Amino acid sequence: MFPSRSKMKVKILNWHAVASWTWDAQDETCGICRMAFDGCCPDCKYPGDDCPLIWGACNHSFHLHCILKWVNSQTSQPHCPMCRREWQFKAWEQRRRGFQLETPGQC
Amino acid sequence: MEPGPNKNGSRSSSYKKNKSPLYSSSLDGLISHGLLNSWRAMIRLFKIKDQRKEEAANANGRAPAKKQSAGELRLHKDISELNLPKTTTIAFPNGKDDLMNFEISIRPDEGYYLGGTFTFTFQISASYPHEPPKVKCKTKVYHPNIDLEGNVCLNILREDWKPVLNINTVIYGLNLLFTQPNDEDPLNHEAAAVLHDNPRLFETNVRRAMAGGYVGNTYFTRCI
Repeated sequence: MFPSRSKMKVKILNWHAVASWTWDAQDETCGICRMAFDGCCPDCKYPGDDCPLIWGACNHSFHLHCILKWVNSQTSQPHCPMCRREWQFKAWEQRRRGFQLETPGQC
Repeated sequence: MEPGPNKNGSRSSSYKKNKSPLYSSSLDGLISHGLLNSWRAMIRLFKIKDQRKEEAANANGRAPAKKQSAGELRLHKDISELNLPKTTTIAFPNGKDDLMNFEISIRPDEGYYLGGTFTFTFQISASYPHEPPKVKCKTKVYHPNIDLEGNVCLNILREDWKPVLNINTVIYGLNLLFTQPNDEDPLNHEAAAVLHDNPRLFETNVRRAMAGGYVGNTYFTRCI
């Protein structure tokens, strides 16, 4: 694999990996609870998988727990709290396609 | 299984100890080692997370610390980010420990109600912002959209409420009621009819009510 004939012996003694993550949302905070998207909703303690974000078909995002609470409290057809369009959860495939359309030529 | 330099000082020993079928060729071994370490780091992270959860649970069991409800947390943000119009003041009659009940006073600077002062009470429920604030007008007012019991007809306090609205938007909505009272969808039908048919008479009636006096059979206390 190395271009030279003599093999280089490398021994890695220690390895320290650091990673950071962030949600890919348009806003910084959830419009419902006003908490940071990179934090969690007021009912949760840990951000990330424990308190995920969810997108609507209208492209507005909220903490999953916040929008579920709102959608479940509505007696009639729920609407997006941001734009009042009918609330529908966006399918993941749809979301990816949306991103491809939004950022043309950025590969 | 501690990643990184271990306590007995020999770093290579941990490398040897963890020899597994993953360490086949030298290069593969390196990659797997890296992967393994990051897995271990993740597992450790989960352990810490579980520990914290336990600690939190224990703490809750021992000392019932006063925890703010989600509604209070959100209201706290609303209050700290208030950007009141110059016509409006806010007061907390129960002190700073009770933010869920407060009063605002509006002193319109234009329109029919110029010069009057109107006080509203706000009651915020624990499920705020999933439920709108309960707003009542403490000042008796001759107004098409506020009845004599103080019930307020404002769309965003009822059917058009949505949790992205806040205290500030409600306050702006209330201000709008005084600059633009509307005769559609009234609570005080009499006042609405007068506003619709004879705006001049409506203006006179509003003045009379605000100065303290009778409009029809109803007595209004002075609020100027």
